[in-house]
Amino acid sequence: MDDLLNDFLAETAEILAEAGGAIVAWEADPGDRERLDAIFRFVHTIKGSSGFLSLPRVTALSHAAEDALDQVRRGNRPANAALVTAILGIVDRLSLLCDALGNGGVEPAGDDADVIDALAFVSEEPAAPEPAEIRLRREDDLAAELQAWRSIRVPLPLLDSMMTGVTDIVLARNEFARMLREAGADPSTIAAFDRLSDSIAAMRQSVSQMRMQRIDKLFAPLPRIVRDLAQDLGKKIAFSTSGGEVELDREMMENIRDPLIHIVRNAVDHGIEPLDQRVAAGKGVTANLSVSARQSGNQIEIVVRDDGRGLSPDALVAKAVAAQVVTATEARGLTPRERLELIFRPGFSTAAKVTSISGRGVGMDIVKSNIEKIGGVVELRNEEGRGLTIILRVPMTLTIISGLMVRAAGQYFAIPRGAVREILLESSDSARVDRVGGGELVTVRGEQFPLLRLETILGRAVDADDDTDDRAVVIVRPGQGQSYALSVAAIHDHEELVIKPAAPLIMTTGLYAGTTLPDSGRPVLLLDVQGLLAAAGVDASEAGRNREEAAETEASARGATQLLLFRDASERVRGVRLSVIERVEEVPALALFESAGAIQAQIGDAIFPVHAAALPEGHGTVKLLRLHDGRSVLCYPIEAVIDIVRMPDAMQPAAAPGLIAGVALIGGDPVELIDPFWLMEQYETTRAAGAGPRRPLCRLADDADGWGENFLAPILRDAGYRVASDKESGDEAPDVLLCLSDDGDACANLGGDAPVIRLRASVAAAGADDDTIYRYDRQALLDALRRRVGGERR
Amino acid sequence: MMEKLYLVARIADTRVALRSRTIHSVVTVGQPVEVPAAPPHVAGLFALRSRVFTLIDPHVVVGLPPVAVAQGQRVIVVDVADHGYALIADEIEDVCFIETPETRIAGRLSPGWARVADAMIEHRGASLLVVDPAQFVTLPVASAA
Repeated sequence: MDDLLNDFLAETAEILAEAGGAIVAWEADPGDRERLDAIFRFVHTIKGSSGFLSLPRVTALSHAAEDALDQVRRGNRPANAALVTAILGIVDRLSLLCDALGNGGVEPAGDDADVIDALAFVSEEPAAPEPAEIRLRREDDLAAELQAWRSIRVPLPLLDSMMTGVTDIVLARNEFARMLREAGADPSTIAAFDRLSDSIAAMRQSVSQMRMQRIDKLFAPLPRIVRDLAQDLGKKIAFSTSGGEVELDREMMENIRDPLIHIVRNAVDHGIEPLDQRVAAGKGVTANLSVSARQSGNQIEIVVRDDGRGLSPDALVAKAVAAQVVTATEARGLTPRERLELIFRPGFSTAAKVTSISGRGVGMDIVKSNIEKIGGVVELRNEEGRGLTIILRVPMTLTIISGLMVRAAGQYFAIPRGAVREILLESSDSARVDRVGGGELVTVRGEQFPLLRLETILGRAVDADDDTDDRAVVIVRPGQGQSYALSVAAIHDHEELVIKPAAPLIMTTGLYAGTTLPDSGRPVLLLDVQGLLAAAGVDASEAGRNREEAAETEASARGATQLLLFRDASERVRGVRLSVIERVEEVPALALFESAGAIQAQIGDAIFPVHAAALPEGHGTVKLLRLHDGRSVLCYPIEAVIDIVRMPDAMQPAAAPGLIAGVALIGGDPVELIDPFWLMEQYETTRAAGAGPRRPLCRLADDADGWGENFLAPILRDAGYRVASDKESGDEAPDVLLCLSDDGDACANLGGDAPVIRLRASVAAAGADDDTIYRYDRQALLDALRRRVGGERR
Repeated sequence: MMEKLYLVARIADTRVALRSRTIHSVVTVGQPVEVPAAPPHVAGLFALRSRVFTLIDPHVVVGLPPVAVAQGQRVIVVDVADHGYALIADEIEDVCFIETPETRIAGRLSPGWARVADAMIEHRGASLLVVDPAQFVTLPVASAA
């Protein structure tokens, strides 16, 4: 009974993990019939096994979920977010129950009506009429079930001991073969031995495959984690995985699971900005987060990429100094790369505050050490403001790879066959070796590769016994877009190799990816084809690659016009072209004030007009869209940003010009589109006359007693001029110079080309040709300014 | 009882005692394979059944010139952090119970030995250093460079 229960728990845990991911994927695409069927089978399987074990709560829960899903399958019920949430609720409850079962051995008493009712509640939506055709689900379901669950569970240590056993058998076989050859056995003995030998090889193959698993399994729980976290944080995230078919050793998978989940959580929590910040940065509201796997030579590469804010090296340094991870002096000496890698220091956590999501005592230092423990590396590719990519490279150790055995410096090395593009002889006609400026390169059919000599990289002398004239060249492609030529003394053969991690002190040389025991029984080092490149310090990127990439980004930047959807203060959904939005501000309601019949907002040191009929009520905060036409800014109050969508092609134009340019259908709903032209026009004309987009600059010269600054400047500013005093004379040439002293020569050389207005202190003019203006004659002064500055502009 | 079981051996030209629980086994080396560009105290790799072990030359760890490894040499196999290592032994003497307690190291040791030795113990009228095999595996950065 206990065994049965354990099997059930192990199986159910696995199913639940997979189901979570599948359900979230299905939510994104409710039309995906295959996915729905798979989820249905998951719950159906749990229901079946639990009934057998008499676990009433589990049975009831899975039955409810199965029922609801069946309704969807029959088309009686739509698949919507509410249903998905309810089903996820059931999945969670099942997980809880299984945990309790695992701990206590008995199903705990309790009531699941809450989650089951949640499912029933949503089913009260108007159901579609029963379709005429009723699908019978039995046959196809059963067939699929048999396929999916005809497997048994084996403890890992048992697999390990089997693996060791088989490898020992292989080694013993080789020794036996040598002895047979030396003893000159008769042909029938050798034939029998060969048969044995073949079956041993086949067995070794199957045993190693037993340990392999698709990396899909590792990705399965991620969609659920991202969905829940994004919902909690109010973020929109498009999550995708790729490369699920890559196979990885089960044990490796166990070691990567937690670090990967941690990285994904971090990306959602810290990497991806809140909606407003994304809009402000000109990004789509929906963030992209992707996890992909691929096999690159002898390594598996798992890439977690987000298009969030990336890491700020300066902020990291400040943080590290504050957390006393480094001293300020040390920090100054750090290279940009080292600054980024501060996040791997123990005691460092990037979140400004510890959140409930990622601040759980696990830091990137743990991630890094876990990955390194299995001989892997963690790499960061940071684009500040545009996203962060974290790359986990783990060796395919404990996995079987096809290896090419090469000889150099009198010993054998293995190169993963997957990374080998071509093998040729240095002396062959198709290859030409050139020495260029101390380096070597080989040209193969017009293509050039940097040439590395294995002995040189390893710091060994070329073995005297090797033929120096007829060396072999292996064209190696360690990763996408990289290739180089590796010169070795000789090529030996191909062999299927079981790779195991080498001791850390060997791995840290960066030259080796592991060790292997070929049939000879003598250990062979597996070369790290990427590491060799790093050790040689050669740039092996294939030419032309960067140009193509640049063209791609340009193309995507040219993409369709985007529309920002938002809800305005009166709860209407409206849209405006994203390109006219400078940013989204969130200001306290008190920053808005009424002045001369218009609502204005104070943001920082500046005051901007606000398109609103009345001041907002309450003391909370107000979100403002900052529209920018290149010269001036207008704020448009909104309730919330909803999304960024592609501008629809068709729009029903409004009858008369006004705030609303027209109506377009977005996602099936009519949305009013704001006309930024009209909007800007309104405020452009109501702005103080003469104080156009660029306000003229008045410079006060010779303002010895401060009269200009204290008495004159406010008047000028009110009239729409900018005022600069003598002291703060910037680089900008003034439009007009106001000379405040009676001394006629004082300002002679100051104005440059600018017109000069002289002010006098006495009421009476000095004479008929006196063009100075009495300094308290406001009207005359403004007229003079307008003539000299404003007049010329009109 | 197990705490008092020691392996007495001569490594790096010095008689030492190793606590038996720190040791996996004592085996005879097959033909070792060199590891180019590895730290100096890595004497090579060798296979034992289907496992690959890293050979450590204690001579280098304590500051002596390296010795050549020959096939058939006896080595002390230890597991450190899930990896198998083998310390080259000049001579394996005995596995025995030593009833006298371990004592603090008296006198000054050379820096190499000071790092690997934990304590001293009296055995048959001689003082032996009690060494931790794990310390042989990790070489301080300064001497590795």
